[in-house]
Amino acid sequence: MITITDLTKRFYDVVALDRISFEVGRDEVVGFLGPNGAGKSTTLKILTSFIPATSGSARVAGFDVFSQSLDVRRAVGYLPEHVALYTDMRVSEYLNFRGRIKGLGGKALRLRIATVLELCALTDMTSRIVGQLSKGYRQRVGLADALLSNPPILLLDEPTGGLDPNQRREVRQLVARLGEEHTVLLSSHVLAEVESMCSRVIIIQKGRIVADGKLDDLVTDLKGGRRVFIEAGCPVETLEAACRAFRPEPEIIESGGRETGSFLAVPPLDDAQRTRFLRHLVDKDVPVREFRVDSYTLEEIYMKVTLAQDGALESAPVAAEGEQE
Amino acid sequence: MVRYLRTSLTLIWREIESNFYSPLSYIVLTVFLVLNGWSFKDSLPAAQWVVSDAIRYFLGLSPMCWLATIFIPPLLTMRLLSEERKSGTIETLMTAPVTETQVIFAKYAGALFFYIFLWSPSLIYIIIIKRYGAVPDNGVIFSSYCGVFLLGSSLIALGVFTSSFSANQIVGAITALILNLLVFFIPYFSDFLPWAGVRRTLQQLWVYRHFQDSFSKGVIDTFHLVYYLGLTTFFLFLAVRSLEARKWR
Repeated sequence: MITITDLTKRFYDVVALDRISFEVGRDEVVGFLGPNGAGKSTTLKILTSFIPATSGSARVAGFDVFSQSLDVRRAVGYLPEHVALYTDMRVSEYLNFRGRIKGLGGKALRLRIATVLELCALTDMTSRIVGQLSKGYRQRVGLADALLSNPPILLLDEPTGGLDPNQRREVRQLVARLGEEHTVLLSSHVLAEVESMCSRVIIIQKGRIVADGKLDDLVTDLKGGRRVFIEAGCPVETLEAACRAFRPEPEIIESGGRETGSFLAVPPLDDAQRTRFLRHLVDKDVPVREFRVDSYTLEEIYMKVTLAQDGALESAPVAAEGEQE
Repeated sequence: MVRYLRTSLTLIWREIESNFYSPLSYIVLTVFLVLNGWSFKDSLPAAQWVVSDAIRYFLGLSPMCWLATIFIPPLLTMRLLSEERKSGTIETLMTAPVTETQVIFAKYAGALFFYIFLWSPSLIYIIIIKRYGAVPDNGVIFSSYCGVFLLGSSLIALGVFTSSFSANQIVGAITALILNLLVFFIPYFSDFLPWAGVRRTLQQLWVYRHFQDSFSKGVIDTFHLVYYLGLTTFFLFLAVRSLEARKWR
């Protein structure tokens, strides 16, 4: 439904997007992740034909975003990052206006408005003036507007931004429901949400795609995605020493802790080795309190790929400084 | 095509409505009615001799009338696009299936509607003049209103264009005002120019003379018609380009 090929966007000499390419298939729910200023909103604005790309092409629902912009806009429901509404209208008037400019009318429009009001839990708010609504309700009105023409594709820029935890949960549930019949591309920097809403994640950093795949695959790609996590009631040095004494010596991914307790993570071992490892630790008198196999969280994947990018860019000067010393 | 027209009508209706939601509109309305009334008061002495003179004065030649026609359009147009830019609604609007032309034309039509609305109470004065004076020439009334309408239309188009520059309403209003004054007074100062041809051409464009020589005399000159409609089209075209300009960056 969405095909982006070598898309580049430059604002004067700032490169916002650097030859990104990806595809989103029918009824997929894709999370678009990245730090602030990574190019998420820019991509979505290009996909809605609001701004053009510098080079490359993007097709939405089979239409080119530049030359068939009206068709693209008919196929897309867009929730901008900063939801801006006409503050002088009532909610019902606003949705009526938006429905009409999207080509709906008459009974179909009335039914559709009733449906989206229900979906976005706005039924009690129809006669309120938009300017007097709270941020959360405005966000919902924006979402209701995006859903109004029942478009096959939804582009949601930070759909849960500025909402309280309950509202966020409602939006998450709504997006999950919509994902059954719509293609959804949503941007966010709240990882837990992306994890709960999206089956696929695209991580973008400084205008480049640094990871793209099913959440499970991403987890697996990263050093097997799993690790053995040990917590013990002893200083971290004791734990590390005991660990190094094991053969084959496992690589210590992460360790830390205080006098009274410490933790340590090593790459996943196969079942037989794991048994041997635990027995080895007990033999060494390590007071093991917890021993479990852990998966990476999206947060860790995100940090790994975004920091790795930063590291790759900055490693050269750091090495040079080291030599001088 | 039907869809295109329906969308346009929705946009125009929204603009017309929003004029009546804005508090500024009521200030403009008040100021305009005061100027209009003043202009009528000044025209009354003239009505005692020749009624059509009163109408001529009231609709086109009185200073109050000029004050209204120069200052009112920028006030009506200044918020049109800058407000959309400032509040960010321009993104919501332009990501809906509407074209730049539709949006600009709707803004123009909405402001023009309000401009006509402003002038409509002046019909009462015409009725009063008709009641108490002799029967004035209907042709003069019609052509005078035509002049007021054509001039307003081109200055509103100009204002729509200047309001598209920046998110700041004041910038749009002041630019429009300066351009309005240029449209009015540049030909007036043409006497200082050494080139006779240019001088003559500029004098042809002097708005005041258009009223003096034709609109206020009951004549609608094709040249004037083309001039004002041309100005309107030109500025609306520029406004559409200006709205599209985000795509060139």
